[in-house]
Amino acid sequence: MSPVGRRQLGGLAAGALVAGSLPALGADSSTLVSGVQLPANLDPHQVFDVPMQAMMFNAYDNLYRYQNDPPEVVPWLAESHTASPDGLTWEFKLRPGIKFHDGSEMTAEDVVYTFRRVLALGLGPAGAFLKILKPDNVTAPEKLLVRFKLESSYAPFFAAIPSVCIVNPRAIKPNEKDGDWGKAWLASNGAGSGAYRIVPAGYRPLEYLDMEIFDDHFLGWKHNPKPVRKIAVRPVKETSTRILALLNGTIDWTDTNIPADQVEQINKSKVAYVQKDVVMRTFVIRMNNTKPPFDNANARKAFAHAFNYMGFINDILGGYATRDPYPQPETLWGIPKDAKGYDYDLKKAKEYAAKAAAEGAPMKRAFEIHVQSENEQSVQGAQVFQSDLAQIGINLKVVGNIWSNLTTAATKPETTPDMWVHWVSTYFVDPENWVGQMYDSQFHGTWKASAYYKNAEVDALLRKARGLVKQEERAPLYEAAIRQIMADSPDIWIYNSMQLQGINKRVKGRRFCTVGQGLEVRTVSLDG
Amino acid sequence: MARFLLRRCLLVVPSLLGLLVVTFLLIHAVPSDPAVSMAGEGATPEQIARLRQQYGLDQPLWQQFVIYLGKVAHLDFGESAFSHRPVALDILQRLPATLELTFAALALSIGIGVPLGVVAALKHNTWPDYLLRVFSVMGIAVAAFWFAIMLQLFFAMELGWLPLRGDLTATMGRPPTITGFLGLDAALAGRWDVLVNHLRHLVLPAVTLSLGGLATIVRFTRAGMLDTLQQDFVFYERAMGYRWLRLVWIFILRNSVTATVTQIGLLFGGLIAGGVVVEAIFDWPGIGSYTVQAILTGDRQVMLAVTLLVGAVYAVINILVDVVHGLLDPRLMEQG
Repeated sequence: MSPVGRRQLGGLAAGALVAGSLPALGADSSTLVSGVQLPANLDPHQVFDVPMQAMMFNAYDNLYRYQNDPPEVVPWLAESHTASPDGLTWEFKLRPGIKFHDGSEMTAEDVVYTFRRVLALGLGPAGAFLKILKPDNVTAPEKLLVRFKLESSYAPFFAAIPSVCIVNPRAIKPNEKDGDWGKAWLASNGAGSGAYRIVPAGYRPLEYLDMEIFDDHFLGWKHNPKPVRKIAVRPVKETSTRILALLNGTIDWTDTNIPADQVEQINKSKVAYVQKDVVMRTFVIRMNNTKPPFDNANARKAFAHAFNYMGFINDILGGYATRDPYPQPETLWGIPKDAKGYDYDLKKAKEYAAKAAAEGAPMKRAFEIHVQSENEQSVQGAQVFQSDLAQIGINLKVVGNIWSNLTTAATKPETTPDMWVHWVSTYFVDPENWVGQMYDSQFHGTWKASAYYKNAEVDALLRKARGLVKQEERAPLYEAAIRQIMADSPDIWIYNSMQLQGINKRVKGRRFCTVGQGLEVRTVSLDG
Repeated sequence: MARFLLRRCLLVVPSLLGLLVVTFLLIHAVPSDPAVSMAGEGATPEQIARLRQQYGLDQPLWQQFVIYLGKVAHLDFGESAFSHRPVALDILQRLPATLELTFAALALSIGIGVPLGVVAALKHNTWPDYLLRVFSVMGIAVAAFWFAIMLQLFFAMELGWLPLRGDLTATMGRPPTITGFLGLDAALAGRWDVLVNHLRHLVLPAVTLSLGGLATIVRFTRAGMLDTLQQDFVFYERAMGYRWLRLVWIFILRNSVTATVTQIGLLFGGLIAGGVVVEAIFDWPGIGSYTVQAILTGDRQVMLAVTLLVGAVYAVINILVDVVHGLLDPRLMEQG
């Protein structure tokens, strides 16, 4: 749903003051009411996006999982792993005695079924595995040992392991229809081993989901003497309602997109506060490098110097973001710290525009930037850009669009807009998630690579880095690739996000990790 | 009567077919590929191509339409590209909530709008009439989202009388689904606490949704009444000494509401469309938010099915309106 408009916020400010004196309505200290969005369905092998992460890290487990801030991959269902020196064979040793929600014991065969299912469906998290893993090459040589033989060495394999939720074939197989791997059934049911189990009767897509505690979770509950017994996910679609619901205690936490200009009001209330966490989620303006003048490096640099980075961050976002001049989060390894990003300098922009024009680039033509109409921040970013470009004689038109149209258009260079705006979220903490998939030309045809940037040297560096296992060997290659990418300026990299989540003051013990956005409930308890 | 109804029902079939053709063409004119949405972030072109093939999206348009038509004839509306669940199931789960909200809003609009329209006509050009005219103009002009937020701020936040959002308090267990209508299911299960809680949740969205319709009904009833009040039979009945209130509420009103009844039929479609906004603001679990999600993700099967459904509901309501017209004025029925 669209973020709240400024006129509506006027009303909300009054509401916030009123709510300051209201008691919290969430009187049940065993039920956490979460206002986050639900994924399209409940099958973690069909859908893999930010809303799914909020669900799956509570209902399912993974061999390894990202925890803490900054994120680190820690053993989870697997107690250890080994990789062969050539990076082709990976083995994971499962902990003994892990139980699924139906009480059956998890074995390596269940992990084999899981990965074969992921590969067969070819959706959600499959993208990281399809090219390097054949179903028959996932095997269980021992009861608690899983072996993966990769087609080619692929270092991000390990980073992508936490994206796969281990499912229970004994729950799924009886519900398979026409060889669908239980796709229809698992879309509305659960088959995991996570700290909370899905209550099928308490689920309606996009509207509500109930989960209840799984007392036999493999990690036990000693770490949390007063855990949440039930999670009631009640997505709040409108920003205005979301804030009011937080302030009157109807929900315990919101999603992570509270508007910056509501932070102060919420923090004034007696009921809730806004938690600020730096996440690995970059905001980028894409340029279609195949369309003149964007096929000219000087033209691209002119645009890169014409964006008022700090003005946008400070004035529009209230300072709740950090300037990130790199094509991936500044906090991730592989960044060449000596590389200098583009700053806001209209004089330089004008000079580069003149150079590009002298080289025959059509700088006088009208340009389009496509934004997600329902997302106020992307519209505002484009408007800031439009205003500054007008000062150097460049005519930019802001075109409203919707996400599905944009991602469809971006699959071909001829239909990709001149420019468009989007975020890149963390699905696995590895440069492959950003520069690897955005700037290696083998990914052309995916919206993530929609700059259609092509540089043989960068391709070679990224491919070599992908084939090595050790981070210390990969890091210099990514640094070299990023240095070259920044010199070529294929896109405009603006900021790394700070997520703003409204949280009721009765919520204690929340732990943050950028993967999963701190929405894991296992450690949480509720006062009162 | 039977011939009258049969004729109206037969006309529905080509109307819905026409609706389906137009919607199908319009949806496919939008440059959005559901396979891209379905495949998700980081999907390779091969993954996307495989999905296109799997869902028949690579076939010629006419072929896709013929296949779709064949499925619709068997009440199979396909699978949602977004939820990967049968569209019919998703809609069936949500339709009761939308109908509940729509009928509640309609009941409020008629129950309050008709009497106010009568009062406005009887007090023609006096202060109650002026007041109601101002109210009806405001009712039509006010944006639903603004009115909804004002109601939320006052009744949920300031006074704390009514719930802010949703159809049931989150910590309250739902009764077993029998009809899909939460209130009815609660009553059938003897869960009176759930019924009361649910009805309290219904108040603010229903009032918000009813406002525009209420204002329209006031205006049409007033205009119809003023027209009828000038007719000879009114002067005759009054001269014969008929009780004034009986004359107004039975004879004059019956002769005045033909246009209002037509308007109610049209309003119904408007209420379902307007419900999209109201459902989103109040998190009412109907087809509104489902439809919005389908539009944003380019989920063609859902868009087609919802359009067809709304068209069918609209057609049924209009048949009912025709029947009511026939009952109010039997001459129409005779003309067929």
